[in-house]
Amino acid sequence: MSISTPTVSVDSVTKRFGDFTAVSNLSLSARAGRVYGLLGPNGAGKTTTIRMIVNITAPDSGRVELFGRPITGELQDRVGYLPEERGLYKKMKIGDQLKFFAELKNVSGKEVDKRIDGWLARLRLTEWKNKKAAELSKGMQQKAQFVTAILHNPDLLILDEPFSGLDPVNVELIKEIVLELKLAGKTIIFSTHQMEVAEKICDDICLINRSQKVLEGPLREVKQSFGRNAVALRVEGGDGILSDPSLVSKLERHSDEVEVLLAPGTNAQDLLQQLVAAKAIVSKFEMIEPSLKDIFIQHVSEVE
Amino acid sequence: MRKFLAVIKREYSQRVRTKMFIAATVLGPLVISLFGVVPALIFSIKAGGPVRIAVVDQTGRMYSRVQKAIMDEGEPVEDQSKAPTAKALNANSSERIERAGALQEESFALEEIPLAGRPIDQVKVELGERVRKQEIDGYLILPANLLQNGKAEFFGRNAGDVFTKGRLEDGVSEAVREERLAGANIDATTVRKLSRPVKLQSFKIGERGEERDTGEEFILVFAAGFVIYLTILMYGQVILGAVIEEKETRIAEILFSSVKPFPLMMGKLIGVSLVALTQLSIWGLAFAAFAIYGVGVLSAQGLPVNLPNIAPIVFLYFTLFFLLGYFVYATIYALVGSMVTTTQEGGQLAMPIILLLVVAFYLAFPVIRSPDSTFAFWVSMFPFFSPITMLVRIVTQTPPFWQIALSLVIGFATVVLLTWVAGRIYRTGMLMYGKRATIPEVWRWVREA
Repeated sequence: MSISTPTVSVDSVTKRFGDFTAVSNLSLSARAGRVYGLLGPNGAGKTTTIRMIVNITAPDSGRVELFGRPITGELQDRVGYLPEERGLYKKMKIGDQLKFFAELKNVSGKEVDKRIDGWLARLRLTEWKNKKAAELSKGMQQKAQFVTAILHNPDLLILDEPFSGLDPVNVELIKEIVLELKLAGKTIIFSTHQMEVAEKICDDICLINRSQKVLEGPLREVKQSFGRNAVALRVEGGDGILSDPSLVSKLERHSDEVEVLLAPGTNAQDLLQQLVAAKAIVSKFEMIEPSLKDIFIQHVSEVE
Repeated sequence: MRKFLAVIKREYSQRVRTKMFIAATVLGPLVISLFGVVPALIFSIKAGGPVRIAVVDQTGRMYSRVQKAIMDEGEPVEDQSKAPTAKALNANSSERIERAGALQEESFALEEIPLAGRPIDQVKVELGERVRKQEIDGYLILPANLLQNGKAEFFGRNAGDVFTKGRLEDGVSEAVREERLAGANIDATTVRKLSRPVKLQSFKIGERGEERDTGEEFILVFAAGFVIYLTILMYGQVILGAVIEEKETRIAEILFSSVKPFPLMMGKLIGVSLVALTQLSIWGLAFAAFAIYGVGVLSAQGLPVNLPNIAPIVFLYFTLFFLLGYFVYATIYALVGSMVTTTQEGGQLAMPIILLLVVAFYLAFPVIRSPDSTFAFWVSMFPFFSPITMLVRIVTQTPPFWQIALSLVIGFATVVLLTWVAGRIYRTGMLMYGKRATIPEVWRWVREA
């Protein structure tokens, strides 16, 4: 496998369930050493796309390749998957479950025991190793399940909403591990509808809406292509100007400042002049990049 | 292969380690033996004192014979004592209840009421009054034409007491018969001796000309069928639960990203089945040990014991067809489990199919009569019937080896095919949680998946 071969290559894939088209003519490619964000609202087709990548369902048309080859059972062993629908065997001890899932990936023996202990320690679950899953809190179960996805040291790791339901401490813990794996040259596909999280972790993104790809590329380029049309302000007065739709297309109030998206055809200078003319006191005026959330909302609402 | 073994190992070790399994394995035989002992204990409960019965003898000469016959009835009569155990073995349930009633040795207190010239109706009224006052429990009227008519009347507070009625009926019958025989100058003991029934012993002429009694093997065929039925009743739900478990806990998605549906389904089926077989083996060994001990004790006392004499090849066939029967029906549960979302739903859906096993029991009878017929051939090839019908053919008139082999091949191929289908349905059905599949949908999944 050469460096240029993408780890995952999805080529013009379509999947229908009866009359409903879940994924329509979708292409994407994810590369080693990068985090690929698969973004989109609920029901956009993210999970179906992932299921085709991990070989749970087959596409109606198009091709899916892993590591430059069509999927086989053997290649499945190089993939780690944390599905959005999570579950563990309720009455099975955590240690036994981890071992079982590792065996399903063709990994067994003493090496597994060592890895299990290592990961449980890292995720602060050591004392829960001999407890049944039903005795663990939801967050702990989720961490245990994250271990099942990485225990066999996969080259491709697919995480579907890995942070939902975790407290900030554990979010940081998982994020740290994901970034380590990225630096170790693994490919990570990260599916979410939480744009704030994606923005911090992804190198590349693919935005899907209503079964179709809307946008794809490195996060940096995507953001730049949207231009600097957002402004962060701390201002007293001038409310009339900020709510003028010919100047501001979107306004978001935070605790002590506001973020506005400029209306098409307006530049930041116009806005500043108007505010000054209206005798508003401007203590902060900063051009910022649009957030991924703004890009997302703009695209999703355009279709509707 | 490693994944397949991992699935088997998980299903097996998770279940065998549970307290439920250990408790069921230890308590199972106890519960079964309780079913044997408790009814006998209940029957032996003697509620209340002797049954008090007044007898009005209009013939004027039957009372002493009737009294003797009724009081003697509880004790075994000479010629019956020869084979009481054989009779006990063959008894159907109603016979057994009656015998238990007899064993109770219900005591009777009889009292003769002389007519003394009074009209019978007046005596009846008086006796009815005594019954109401609870001085007696009932009264028996032997009409003057009893010997000709053979009809007597019993009036009692508890006319539904079948034991009392049976004892009275038998007693009066015997008295009347002996009176009639005496009237014809024939000795009753001689009659009994002369009318002893003949026992027909049957022998089988096999391929190699050996002779053996086939009775024991018939019992074994039905025993095998019965054990299949019981095992399926006990473990069908477990298989259903094992298949549905990952749907309910949403683990299926991870599993299918690692393992193909067929090894998963087969692994589950075999894992749970090994649990069932473990339990059966423990029970079987315990029973065998008990039986050997029992035989030893009986032989030591000088009692002859006939151990069932079964050829090793027949024993092998029994094992194979037992496994076939178990797996064919267990797979049905796996198949149903792959379509439904809850075990309750699955149980309802699987039950009608399990009744096919009952049909197989009934089919055994025409096959016994003509084990060589075309009909017998086809029903012994059909996988849902063959575990019983083919065994019947083997013990009656052993069919050619190729037929036995073909029946086994068809059976186990069905198991593999149904498991494969179940795996397909399971994987596709998993993508639509919370909804039961319709038959056309299922058909489409099998073709598409």
